[in-house]
Amino acid sequence: MTDSAGELAIEATGVVKSFGTVRALRGVDLTVPAGMLVALLGPNGAGKTTLVRILATLLRQDSGTVRVLGCDAAAHPYAVRSGIGLTGQYAGLDEALPGHHNLMLIGRLGGLGRQEARRRAADLAERFGLAPAIGRLVRTYSGGMRRRLDLAASLMNRPALLILDEPTTGLDPGSRVELWAALRELRAGGTTMLLTTQYLEEADRFTDAVHVLDHGLVIAAGTAAQLKARAGTQVVDVLLDRQDAAVAAVLLGARVAPADLHVDEASRRLTIRAREGIGTLLTAAQLLRAAGIGVADIALRQPSLDEAFLALTAGPAR
Amino acid sequence: MAAAGPLLAAGRRHERPGPGRLVRDSLLIAGRYLRVLRGNPGRLVYPLVQPVLILVLFVSVMENLASVTGGPYRQFLIPGIMIQNVVLTAPVTGLALVRDAATGLADRFRSLPMPRSAVLIGRSVSDTVVFFAQALVMIGVAYLLGFHVRTGLAGIAGIIAVAMGFGTALGIMCAWLALLIGDVETAERALFFPFIPLAFVSAAYAPVGQLAGWLQPVAKVNPVTSAVVVVRAIADGGPLVVPVLHLAGWTAALSVVPGLLAVRRWQKAP
Repeated sequence: MTDSAGELAIEATGVVKSFGTVRALRGVDLTVPAGMLVALLGPNGAGKTTLVRILATLLRQDSGTVRVLGCDAAAHPYAVRSGIGLTGQYAGLDEALPGHHNLMLIGRLGGLGRQEARRRAADLAERFGLAPAIGRLVRTYSGGMRRRLDLAASLMNRPALLILDEPTTGLDPGSRVELWAALRELRAGGTTMLLTTQYLEEADRFTDAVHVLDHGLVIAAGTAAQLKARAGTQVVDVLLDRQDAAVAAVLLGARVAPADLHVDEASRRLTIRAREGIGTLLTAAQLLRAAGIGVADIALRQPSLDEAFLALTAGPAR
Repeated sequence: MAAAGPLLAAGRRHERPGPGRLVRDSLLIAGRYLRVLRGNPGRLVYPLVQPVLILVLFVSVMENLASVTGGPYRQFLIPGIMIQNVVLTAPVTGLALVRDAATGLADRFRSLPMPRSAVLIGRSVSDTVVFFAQALVMIGVAYLLGFHVRTGLAGIAGIIAVAMGFGTALGIMCAWLALLIGDVETAERALFFPFIPLAFVSAAYAPVGQLAGWLQPVAKVNPVTSAVVVVRAIADGGPLVVPVLHLAGWTAALSVVPGLLAVRRWQKAP
């Protein structure tokens, strides 16, 4: 997709949407460059699905502008629809039809001719490992197969932009790995993707950029690494030998602010915000050693995206 | 004009799809529903077997209870049962749509560059096919029960056309009501409930003049009466122009505006 390099697949500015008195989106800005795989991260009720529905032209914003694939989504919804694929939160499949006919229907409604749709359906069935089951009714499919068929259906019309609303929710770990493999392959093929997820480690591992949505606002955006850095300092992780966590907590509590110390007695684990970097680690190690508390493991590390996420959503934006 | 960047591949449809697409996509949707029927033939048992059962039971039970002037009661009753059956089948159009509207499939349809009325029209077309099959079966059974269509094959075609047209119009009305209600279970009850009095307070089982006095004004304007009167006129070779115009008016009233409202509702829900 060299011709689209540098273009923006999604450009949303100041998007506001209310349902009655509920303000679902309070002025969202979002840009997704062409060719990227971008995650929209946020807790339930943050406004992720509302934003996705606006981008997919299922809803219209109250104010703000939304350009998708270079077209104003409110003014030219059909133009946008001809370039996007949507994989919604609930499978967009007719369970009373065989997999093959689901693919054919979506392809034909998207504008493909019969022959072309048939070829494309066969290709996608092959690619997603559905070929042996493609003649069976969808209601006989497993959850993972449904998800893959659903993804195949949204790819029937070769969308330039694929929008996925919580694609991995409800999948077992194996199916999730398969789905991510498929998404990365698409990414390599040049498809731009925006997906929502609650699985932070997925956004961390697989995406080019992450936008954190909370209470109808994008409160942070960047690569997963940038977000973690923004969320603050490194962390010292301590794993104790025995059940001395309470004692250790009292000991460390004298030197560390209570908000910086997290103790999980059951797992014998202490987490300390390393405001002084390696100095914090050394202080903790010396204190524990002097008190004769055995340490199984101690390490200085970047905060996880979970920690970053919690730090960001609890931050001043609220 | 849409200032489409190179991201939008050339040759794709950029603007509102035209009437050619509407026909094509509606037929694709109709094909989807008919294919579901073919793959799940159990779903045809109700629409095809129940009317036969009702026809045989009603004729057998009520034949000797009632008499009407101008011929045997079964000749009078059978058009009534045929239209009653159409009335009781029509809510299916609405229920199917409201059920679809609640699934991810509806969102997928809404995100495709297809005309937004295609789903409603496609569903109606597939139900028209069901109405056709139903009417054909009922006419066949009615014939075995001694029902005479004096106007011959053209008359039989006319009766089937009335069942299809009236049923489809009523189905479109149901589609709007069901989408307005929004909830599948509520819609199930709410749609069938008014249709029972609608079928009974009409000329379906007795001439309007023989109904209880307070029912007569309702029965006279009831669209079910219009449809039954047309079927009887065709079967008995009576005058057709006024009843047909009356029915045409009702058919248009039930389908045009409610159809437009249903399409709007479909696109917005939920």
